[in-house]
Amino acid sequence: MRNRLKENIVISGVGCSRFGDLLETPELKGLSIQELTARAVKEALDDAGLCGQDVDAVFAGNAMVHSSQIPGTYSQLSKWTGTQFKAGVHFEAQCSTTNVGAVLAAMSVAAGVYDTALVYGLETTRTKVKGFSPYEREPISHQQTWLWTDMAVNQAYSVPQGYDIFSTYNGLVALGYCRKYGLSIEEFDRGMFELCRTRRLHGSMNPKANIQEKLEDRASKEGFADPYDYWRSDKHNPFVSWPSRLLSLVTTADGASAMVITRADLAKGGKSKPVGLKGFGISYSDLPWYGEDPTYWEFDKRAIDTAFDMAGIKAADIGYLHTHDCSHISSICTAETLGYLEHGKGLQAAREGRLRFDGDRPMSTHGGRHAFGHAWGASAGTDTYEAVLQMRGQAGARQIPKVPEISVIHTHGYAMIGTVVVLEGV
Amino acid sequence: MPDIAEQPSTLRSYYEGLAKGVFRAITCKDCGRYTFPPTGCCEHCGSWNVAPAEVSGEATLLFATHNISPACHPRFEKIAPYVYGHLRLKEGPIVQAIILGAKATPEDLGRLFARGPVPAKAEMLQMDDLPVLAFRIAT
Repeated sequence: MRNRLKENIVISGVGCSRFGDLLETPELKGLSIQELTARAVKEALDDAGLCGQDVDAVFAGNAMVHSSQIPGTYSQLSKWTGTQFKAGVHFEAQCSTTNVGAVLAAMSVAAGVYDTALVYGLETTRTKVKGFSPYEREPISHQQTWLWTDMAVNQAYSVPQGYDIFSTYNGLVALGYCRKYGLSIEEFDRGMFELCRTRRLHGSMNPKANIQEKLEDRASKEGFADPYDYWRSDKHNPFVSWPSRLLSLVTTADGASAMVITRADLAKGGKSKPVGLKGFGISYSDLPWYGEDPTYWEFDKRAIDTAFDMAGIKAADIGYLHTHDCSHISSICTAETLGYLEHGKGLQAAREGRLRFDGDRPMSTHGGRHAFGHAWGASAGTDTYEAVLQMRGQAGARQIPKVPEISVIHTHGYAMIGTVVVLEGV
Repeated sequence: MPDIAEQPSTLRSYYEGLAKGVFRAITCKDCGRYTFPPTGCCEHCGSWNVAPAEVSGEATLLFATHNISPACHPRFEKIAPYVYGHLRLKEGPIVQAIILGAKATPEDLGRLFARGPVPAKAEMLQMDDLPVLAFRIAT
């Protein structure tokens, strides 16, 4: 495998909607899924100084068609995004969708087929179409969300025989981590608390986040003087897969994201500062996602190595990292596999505040899947959105003091496609 | 309507075997390794040169946690929360499955974690509409 891009590729525009619930979240309530998506697309096109007719191709991502009910997304959204008559396709890579879209776009531009491509992702994991209404929506039950989501997981043997995301992604990984590194369950719990606190801090500084409330503030509202007592409360934070608790997990959301991919020479002198897409790596695996050691995932390692090779970087070069954090302990394992955090020291780094926006190992400064929220096919684009803001120095209150020159974004698309994208300032 | 013969299906065969307490797999004639549960080619080397096989059901439980309740799948609503484990079969494959012989409580799971790896034996757990793989540990 040659593993090289033949052209210098950049992201020239990014967009992202508020994440939340189309039935109740301010800035989202009452929007249709078409309008939700158009907001993210317009922001990205405006950011690039383009309109929909300026792009050559569109990669339209949506994973859970059951709730969106917009297959053929390219044409159904074309008049909402100004992209009529363009080349395009609807694709999905579950929770890696938008970044896999960036990769598809980068390859098509680097191959000389297109000059500029638009990528967008949309998802509604909180609400679904109500009856046959074109605009009314209703909540999705917890079980329905996972029944639909788990259709991306081994439907021959695993899901039919009791597979459970919370066990496989959280509890078993947590126990593997504790056993491997000699952590007590209490030490693990404390580390998870601090990690959640960091994610919630970041969410509180992000006006687009699903949850914008610090963990301490929530604890105080619930009558707890010590937020760690709140964390250990079975009522407020039960075990969903011992020793992993509810607040160490993803929160579902409706949302959309978008980005414009083009050649570096075409973005020169553009409206916004472009960011280089220097490399990527993709590797997938069916269950089981790990062998005897639940902290080491071979497909992630392969994706990381491929991306680093293409970009010509090493872990020490990274100034900002997002690893997929549907499961907080899994995100720590990936950061350690990647070399950003020392093996077995990730939770200690969280306790020391090193993963905060102002720490020396900043991670997931948008709030991650827990605080920013998770709209499956749209979320990877929000990770890229955040990295681009950080690299432009536009992240506001949560800006990393030393503007990152190189960012790495890792996502897990169910179940599983490990996707790693390397961004570099230009 | 003509009587059309049904094609053999590895997937159907697995569940039919499971209903009788047989744990069907395949082995690779090229690399010699097991694929469990069975597919049509070797999961390790990609060879199509495979043969039907069975695994013994003898395993080692490496880690055990529990699922969420209500269960993500309606099939398991009646038994949720249940213990779910990460195991290594005697023949090599890594498997995750429902565990019998332990309670889905922090106390029971904490004791199990403290014990470390424990022997487990596969058995069929009959749900309303499907036999499923489970492993029992000695209490």
